[in-house]
Amino acid sequence: MIIEGLLSRTIQMSTPLIIGALAEVLVERAGVMNIAIEGIFLLGAWAGFVGTYCTGSQIVGLIAAIVIGMLVGLCYGYITVKLKQHQIVTGTAINILAAGLALYFYRVLFGVPLLPLTVEPLARLNIPLLSSIPVIGEILFRQNILTYMAFVVVFVLHWLLFKTKSGLIIRSTGANPEAVDAAGINVDTVRFKAVLCSSALCGLAGAFYSMGFLGLFTEDIIGGRGWIAFAICFLGNWNPIGAAIGGLIFGLADATSIVIQTSGFKLIPNEFIIAIPYILTIVATISRKEFRVPEYLGIPYIKEGGR
Amino acid sequence: MRNYRHILLTFFPVYSVIVGLFLSGIMMLFLGENPLVVYRDILLFAFRDIYNIADIFAKAVPLIFTGLAFGFAYRASLFNIGAQGQFYMGCLASVSCSLYLSFLPKPLLLSICLLSSLVLGGSWGSLIGYAKARFNANEFLLSLMSTYVAIAVMNFLIRGPLIESKGEYPQTDVIAQSAWIPQLISHTRLHIGLVLALLIAAMAYFILWKTTLGFKIRAVGMNRNAARFAGIDEKKIFITVFFISGAFAGLAGFTEVNGIQHMLVQGFNPLIGTEGIGIAILGNAHPFGIVLSALLFGALKVGGALAVQVSNISSSFLGIMEGFVMLSVIISYFIRQRIMIALEKKRLQEESKVENQ
Amino acid sequence: MVIYMLSDDKDIIVELSGITKYFPGVLALDKVDLNVRKGEVLALLGENGAGKSTLMRILYGMYRADEGKIKINGKVVNIESPKDAMQLGIGMIHQHFTLVPVHSVVENIVLGTITDQQRSFSIGETAKEIENLGETYGLKVDPRATVNQLPVEMQQRVEILKALYRGAKVLIMDEPTAVLTPQSTEMLFNFIRDFRRAGNSVIFISHKLNEVLEIADRIVVLRSGRVVGEMPREKATEQELARMMVGHELSGIKLKAENNVTLGKKEPVLRIENLKVKGSLGHWAVDSLQLEIYAGEIHGIAGVSGNGQDELAEALYGLRLVSEGSIFLKDLSLLNEQTRNIIDQGVGYIPADRHKEGLVLDMSVEENLVLKGFDVSPFSRKGILQENSIRRYATEVIESYAIKTPTPDTHVRYLSGGNQQKIVIAREIAVAKFLLIAVQPTRGLDIASTEYVHQSLLRARDEGKGVLLISTELSEILSLSDRISVIYRGRVLKTIDRRDVNIDEIGLLMMGVTTQQ
Repeated sequence: MIIEGLLSRTIQMSTPLIIGALAEVLVERAGVMNIAIEGIFLLGAWAGFVGTYCTGSQIVGLIAAIVIGMLVGLCYGYITVKLKQHQIVTGTAINILAAGLALYFYRVLFGVPLLPLTVEPLARLNIPLLSSIPVIGEILFRQNILTYMAFVVVFVLHWLLFKTKSGLIIRSTGANPEAVDAAGINVDTVRFKAVLCSSALCGLAGAFYSMGFLGLFTEDIIGGRGWIAFAICFLGNWNPIGAAIGGLIFGLADATSIVIQTSGFKLIPNEFIIAIPYILTIVATISRKEFRVPEYLGIPYIKEGGR
Repeated sequence: MRNYRHILLTFFPVYSVIVGLFLSGIMMLFLGENPLVVYRDILLFAFRDIYNIADIFAKAVPLIFTGLAFGFAYRASLFNIGAQGQFYMGCLASVSCSLYLSFLPKPLLLSICLLSSLVLGGSWGSLIGYAKARFNANEFLLSLMSTYVAIAVMNFLIRGPLIESKGEYPQTDVIAQSAWIPQLISHTRLHIGLVLALLIAAMAYFILWKTTLGFKIRAVGMNRNAARFAGIDEKKIFITVFFISGAFAGLAGFTEVNGIQHMLVQGFNPLIGTEGIGIAILGNAHPFGIVLSALLFGALKVGGALAVQVSNISSSFLGIMEGFVMLSVIISYFIRQRIMIALEKKRLQEESKVENQ
Repeated sequence: MVIYMLSDDKDIIVELSGITKYFPGVLALDKVDLNVRKGEVLALLGENGAGKSTLMRILYGMYRADEGKIKINGKVVNIESPKDAMQLGIGMIHQHFTLVPVHSVVENIVLGTITDQQRSFSIGETAKEIENLGETYGLKVDPRATVNQLPVEMQQRVEILKALYRGAKVLIMDEPTAVLTPQSTEMLFNFIRDFRRAGNSVIFISHKLNEVLEIADRIVVLRSGRVVGEMPREKATEQELARMMVGHELSGIKLKAENNVTLGKKEPVLRIENLKVKGSLGHWAVDSLQLEIYAGEIHGIAGVSGNGQDELAEALYGLRLVSEGSIFLKDLSLLNEQTRNIIDQGVGYIPADRHKEGLVLDMSVEENLVLKGFDVSPFSRKGILQENSIRRYATEVIESYAIKTPTPDTHVRYLSGGNQQKIVIAREIAVAKFLLIAVQPTRGLDIASTEYVHQSLLRARDEGKGVLLISTELSEILSLSDRISVIYRGRVLKTIDRRDVNIDEIGLLMMGVTTQQ
């Protein structure tokens, strides 16, 4: 029973991480780091909450999250891809701005209530038949809609990247933009579109934190998890399946740490269990040779030579 | 003539600050507030009395350190996003010394705390530099992750060996009086740490522009290739720069623990690292600019916190202002680049005209 | 000018007429006419800067001609991008492959046609088509292989297949044998013959005479943006071609400094033996090279670019790994030493690209002048920069080299190219106690600055230093060098004393032809 509960919770907590990591995989395969990920998560959480609260409809909330993600992506994409400014610097600026905007517009709308306002969190959707399977049914098929979406997006992204034309173009743009340019495709346009899609997904992932858990919004509701998704992309070797596995690892660490804390099991200090995924990422970053970073990640594409 | 234009362009960050504040002002209008009133309030309150003015400087101290941390590394074209973690390491070093060596006389104790925070923060940072030198690893991700590991270490220690005597909350005991940094202005929160911060800023300036080490750092940062051709060992630079950068952030640990909080609490000052990045960007990665930006942010925080109480503006608006200012700084870089390129083109054209005559 | 008229205009597939192209400050192409017939291999011959690549890039849509027009199959066309060129059946095999190294062969080829609507995207199908294509033209490649695992000649095959898959009928090949071994070159030629037999055409850009004479049907020679000769293969001779490429005027170039007192001593300051250095693509850029430089001489390395000169220079300065061989500066081995040590031993280096390698543009004039020497007294003491000493030194140098700059503090970015190069020269001559390596030292400079650089090199020589001058400008080599070594395919073919120089011979050697005269 405990194991089932643990695994179920793992899946739940992995959801936003997986979606965020998938978003990052998409955009980094095209050669751009979406440094604004943390800020978009936060704004997505805000938009999801506000949208749901003000209209009473969760669908509106989810759409709002996606839209706001795209708006930020528009900004970030324009500055880094078109204006070719530095991705880290720009992303950081946006993160700071996002934090300010989210908190400010929450206060403006709702003031500082004694008890945080809540909305009905996303309901568990039990998939008929499948959810009745013993053990697996409980873990996998009694989650909310975002989780099911996450499953789907894993496979959709994998198919997109490796089995379609667009996927080939995206992957080539990160590996050697000159080859794409030589094929007559506009590198900046590909990257810009990737940033937009990625940011939309990030907004959705962020919404999970407000709408998918307790149904409320606070200023530190994201608490660095956008960065975890960023790291998972790396850890998962820029592969959707890898991202899913990475997300599950982190989700497991999250879920386990709560169990361990409450059970008093003290072999390895809890703090370090939480730190395992970060340490893993550090190891991955160092042994870069086995991991396939897109060659031109982070480098703005400037056409040489001229007409 | 050329230098005049060059100087004008150097002040771009100032223009961007003004633009950023202007944009924030417009946003205020949309929200039904009068920006002039708001800015007036902020100024009034920030400079209302000695306590507040001193507070501006007190708040600026750690920001100067973390700003220097990012800015110094930036000069070598390196990205140290781990200032938060290096800060925490500095906190740990300093609080440990304060707790266990409290029997020492004050000047000695404080010196040891200072040194320990510097060394531990620097060593923590130099690990990143080493990884970059040896494995050509991505320092952005490494430094980002290192912060989380630092948090893990800190939390472990705070909940374990360093926990308060009561054992109730995840925090240490209050450190002994002998470990408190003396106040600069009595009855305020401003402590001598300010002097330290200004000294360190001056030192950063000195290193970068007056020493051979700084020369190498700037050369590597501006043109890594040419630096190689000139025989400069970039790997050594990576390690050294990250040590110094981490040391700067570590010192913030000393000033905040021994100067303000007088203990170490879990989750303390969680945004110092990120704000440091913002300040470094605003300050154009120059020590003097960083000091000024830190003071600006300090003023915004102090004045803003109080303005909130009397006007309708919410305190979170400060974050928005910070963000707008930073974004306008970035866009101003782009504009500035364009201007430089246009000037360059004109010059080349004039040159070839002269030659073809 | 020698022109043999074409016997008929039938079957002309590509016709370029009156092509003119300006780049800032230089006329790259001057009313060039060129025809390519179906089923023919046309060789485009010329030195660096003759305009061959520029002309082909215009045909391929990468550049736009300022004047002139292009006709394909008799119809005037407007080629605005490589896509247009490809649709017209023109493909180009670049010197630097535009492949994605981490992707498979199939993925790379598919990327090339990805904007063609009709093509369906199926890796399996395309793999089959590529295999068939490979069979037809003898270009066998495993479609599933990852490109960066393939040797260079296979990578080139992928480039070719990319163009063929798009239905190219005219293939432009830019120095295709630069990175190939003789065996691979032969295989490439077999492909070209098969391709031609099928009624297609090849434009073969090269500077290698023997290869051109082997594979071409017709030869066109360009020099300084103009067509200076055109003839069928049968009527071409090596001597005539070399003379056309290099030009008669050069035989009149006098040595700039008349008396070279120090040369009589003949003490070697640099000895290179059996040097082997790998190039970026994994081939042997420097292939068992022997060279000796004496103190007090300017030793010019003549050769068309891409024959290993750049790799040689980098290897000498510790910037590129040497696989085999030895380098001795007097008695000291410099093999794979740290650049810093090499500098300290008194070797200076004027790099080919002053912006990327020679200067830090955002540093000041004086900072750039001490870029290699800042770490020692008098410019620094115990790690602290001595600004007065630096300023004094800079002021002296600025005066003696007549560097035009508002102040010593001005950022180098704002100086003209000539003045920037003066800074590099001043610095490197100061560093070079024994040896000065100069790579393309006058690239992009105006006449006055070029003259200044030349005088500086001569002065260094007169001071007893050895100067290794690497340049693709033959006139420069001829007017400055005491001895000339011609480099071809990574080795020195012959070293010639100034007094024995014969332009024709040098021209031939540069094209790889060793003849005893």
